[in-house]
Amino acid sequence: MSRHPVLAVVLLVVAAIAFVAYHSTFVVLQSEQALVLQFGDPKRVVNTPGLKFKRPFLENVAFFDKRILALESPSEELITSDQKRLLVDAFARYRITDPLLYYQTLSNDEIARSRLGSLLNSNVRRVLGSQEMLSIVSGERGRLMQQIRDILNAEAGHFGVQIVDVRIKRTDLPEANSLAIFRRMQAERDREAKENRAQGDEIATRIRADADRQRTVILAEAQKTNEILRGEGDAERTRIFAEATSQDPEFYAYYRSLLAYQNAFSGQDTTFVLSPKSDFFRYFNNLPESVERGRAK
Amino acid sequence: MPWGNQGGGWQGGGRGPWGQGSRPDGPQPPNLEDLIKRGRERLRSVLPGGFGGSFGVTLAVLVVVAIWLASGIYRVLPDEQGVVLRFGEWIKTTQPGLNYHLPYPIETVLTPRVTRVNRMDIGFRSNVGERGGIHDVPAESLMLTGDENIVDIDFSVFWVISDAGQMLFNIKDPGPGQFDIDGPQATVQAVAESAMREVIGRNLIQRILTEGRQPVEAATQKLMQEVLDSYKAGIQITQVNLQKVDPPAQVIDAFRDVQAAKADRDRSQNEAEAYRNGIVPRARGDAEKAIQSGQAYKQQAIAEAQGEAARFLSVLGAYRQSKDVTARRMYIETMEQVMRSVNKVVIDEAPGSGNVLPYLPLPELRKKPAGSGQ
Repeated sequence: MSRHPVLAVVLLVVAAIAFVAYHSTFVVLQSEQALVLQFGDPKRVVNTPGLKFKRPFLENVAFFDKRILALESPSEELITSDQKRLLVDAFARYRITDPLLYYQTLSNDEIARSRLGSLLNSNVRRVLGSQEMLSIVSGERGRLMQQIRDILNAEAGHFGVQIVDVRIKRTDLPEANSLAIFRRMQAERDREAKENRAQGDEIATRIRADADRQRTVILAEAQKTNEILRGEGDAERTRIFAEATSQDPEFYAYYRSLLAYQNAFSGQDTTFVLSPKSDFFRYFNNLPESVERGRAK
Repeated sequence: MPWGNQGGGWQGGGRGPWGQGSRPDGPQPPNLEDLIKRGRERLRSVLPGGFGGSFGVTLAVLVVVAIWLASGIYRVLPDEQGVVLRFGEWIKTTQPGLNYHLPYPIETVLTPRVTRVNRMDIGFRSNVGERGGIHDVPAESLMLTGDENIVDIDFSVFWVISDAGQMLFNIKDPGPGQFDIDGPQATVQAVAESAMREVIGRNLIQRILTEGRQPVEAATQKLMQEVLDSYKAGIQITQVNLQKVDPPAQVIDAFRDVQAAKADRDRSQNEAEAYRNGIVPRARGDAEKAIQSGQAYKQQAIAEAQGEAARFLSVLGAYRQSKDVTARRMYIETMEQVMRSVNKVVIDEAPGSGNVLPYLPLPELRKKPAGSGQ
């Protein structure tokens, strides 16, 4: 059992070596950069990833992100140059370019975020406040965002930070103004609706009038043709009669009169007061003269 | 604490190295096992029997070493990419399948899902689990248009991680965790909102509501891609999909009324056209009827005239044969017909009473039935 203390000593030595090794190395991630500090005093910047060495126990390491980081600004109400209220929120994306400067001026991420946040806010306010509302909402948006970024960059440079991008996210109206816009939108739509309905009436009336005109014209034209045809018929009849009757006008008068008597006195509503002396009754009391003469013989 | 910042996000997807290494049926690299076996045999030959008591300890150490080495085996799923870090440095990207990296703490691997299409809803949230669970988020969906109107827009953004390395090492969302293994969600959302509002701000409400869907989608996608590319975020926007483009709820009735008014207009027009279609053909029919009746009258008049003329000519022909007799016969026949049907009153004038006007109550006579005349 004499080997066991030896084993224990070996293990102890290995552990001691491991402990020192642990404290003399550090790992910088691909996404990081590091600042080696000696009792809080910055010594060097390590901005390549991998396994790195330091003096154990004397030096310690502060890590900073190398990536693009997010900075959100809360919604802020500002007054534009045309005296309109606008709720704006913006966000920025930044990158720590100089860990040493960053560490010296801001010391940690929390402070950095609050400092950069207030910088972002004040610049958004300043730049957008000098603009008219419509140019913020539409036309100039891109240019204004670049302008804020550039101004911010100039200031953030002192912190070892580069502002990659500033973007305006929401540009909304405060509630009271929204309501006014809603009212205006409503009025516009009402106008449009009325116009549409009136147009409908216009079109309908026009079509109906046109239809009525067509009907009247069609019927009138037809009536014209009808009358012409009737006239032609009457003319032809007159011609035919004239041709026939001209052969013996007197007989025609007699013949036609007889026909007319037949047709005219056909009903029960006519009462004739006749005298037996009329020609119709010529034989009522008398025989023909030749018979009379014969009887007398 | 140099190793300390390798916590949380270090082993992505919650699959620790031990979990993978200790899978019972997981394939083991054969050379490793051979190595261990050979080493054990060599040990045994060097220390024959004498080390017998600590043999168990040695075995335990070897097993621990073996497990440690085996912990470097990892699987990359078909929709993932393996990003291998050696002491934090990105050394290679591996493809789906079984892979090996040197065990922790030398190498670690991150496996972001690169082919999975991520979806982000903006302006609304669909609650999975609740029935019909879509609720609006007005703060996100109400936007100002270029003509100072407000429009209510819900949209979805579909995106994939196009470059796992760029995504992991170029961009960081706010929040805990060393790496955003599922992609920079907050950044995508912020960029999406910003881009959509910029695009909507450039357009007029009427255009957005009517034909503008597709152009708005395309412009937003392009703008988002530009911004994300400027961050070198390794994100590709595959699609921007407008779900709802409406006027705000407060004025939607007015907008609907416009639609209704348009429908009314069409309806008025249709009704009028129906009226026209109802009367014009009918008028044409009536016109045809009038023309035909005119034609009929004409032909009738001609035919009757011809008939009458022919009849007259026939009678005239007969009359010319014997004028006197025919004239008398015609007279008598006619009188016969006339007298047969009319009321008749025959008054015989008494000789000498020529001065007396006979009383004749015509109206009463008229009332009497037919044939009862005196």
